[in-house]
Amino acid sequence: MKSKVKSILFHSLFVSVSLALITACGDSEKKLPILGERDWVKKTVDGKEVVDTIYNTIPKFAFVNQYGDTITEKIVENKIYVTDFFFTTCPTICPVMKKQMVKVYEAYKGNPDVMILSHSIDPEHDTPAVLNQFAKDLGVDGQQWQFLTGDKARIYEIGQKNYMSTAKEDTTVQGGYIHSGAFILVDKDKHVRGMYDGTTEEGTKKLLNDMERLLAEYKK
Amino acid sequence: MKQRSYRSFTARILVFTVLGLTSCRSSEELKSEQYFVTGQQLYMTHCANCHQMEGKGMSNLYPPIVGSATISDKARLARIIQHGMSDTIIVNGKKFSRPMPPNPKLTEIEIAEIVSFVTMKWGKDSVYTPIEFVHKALAVSGAD
Repeated sequence: MKSKVKSILFHSLFVSVSLALITACGDSEKKLPILGERDWVKKTVDGKEVVDTIYNTIPKFAFVNQYGDTITEKIVENKIYVTDFFFTTCPTICPVMKKQMVKVYEAYKGNPDVMILSHSIDPEHDTPAVLNQFAKDLGVDGQQWQFLTGDKARIYEIGQKNYMSTAKEDTTVQGGYIHSGAFILVDKDKHVRGMYDGTTEEGTKKLLNDMERLLAEYKK
Repeated sequence: MKQRSYRSFTARILVFTVLGLTSCRSSEELKSEQYFVTGQQLYMTHCANCHQMEGKGMSNLYPPIVGSATISDKARLARIIQHGMSDTIIVNGKKFSRPMPPNPKLTEIEIAEIVSFVTMKWGKDSVYTPIEFVHKALAVSGAD
């Protein structure tokens, strides 16, 4: 169990290090990179052939929040948001992640441009009522921080394909699931612009710093 | 001259007594220190995610250890660490009802070290809790 947690931590560390390297190569001072798989299509504009890049974009989704309301991608329209994956009975990295996420919540409380979406990877247990109590006990109210549950396959799919955050069931580990401890930053165009180690103080500091940079992109 | 030798005799006795006391205390103290340090490391690995490094818990999700009545009942403490808990408890006036998972892989000495750390750091204990104590506590059937 210890080694599993370590491997999770190592994995998230690896991801953040490689991301840091990628960022270091680009024009990191100006803009955050767009992360994820991309595709290129050729099209003809004014008789000339041009190549268009298609970036990884968060698709439409429909989940249920801690108030029992159906939440779609509309809720983050024209907002940047931070997202993560967790489950309420997780005894390992989730409490640490939630402690760090509270810092993000406190820093942007009331800011209409910023939201937080936390997806449960154990939706059978984490019903809206369970999430509601969890949010309350964490000291979170209102709409800014959404705790989402819903179809398990959909949650795992969007997590792995689009947010690039792994989660799977594993009965050998404490709690029954292993998942990444990443915080994922998404911009107003639904592109992933950063991934951070949500289990550490440093990862969260970097996220807060990058959120400022991302918000600044829209202030022109 | 006579008085001098008497004095030096007293001094020697004193030195021996002090030495004797210190060596006695120091073996006990050394063990307490070892249990405290190892217990602290184990606490960081197994407990601090929820109860936090400072033992203050986390909002209304996870109860604090500082100020909790449970740390004065060390036998119960040892059983909770090993077997977990699913009761609703009130700590420092706040209600907590999330279950605590069991730690079946922790050995008796590890539990003794954690109990030692917790009770010396946040309880009234000044010395370590021996393994035999934990062994007896865990032998009592019936969960808390």
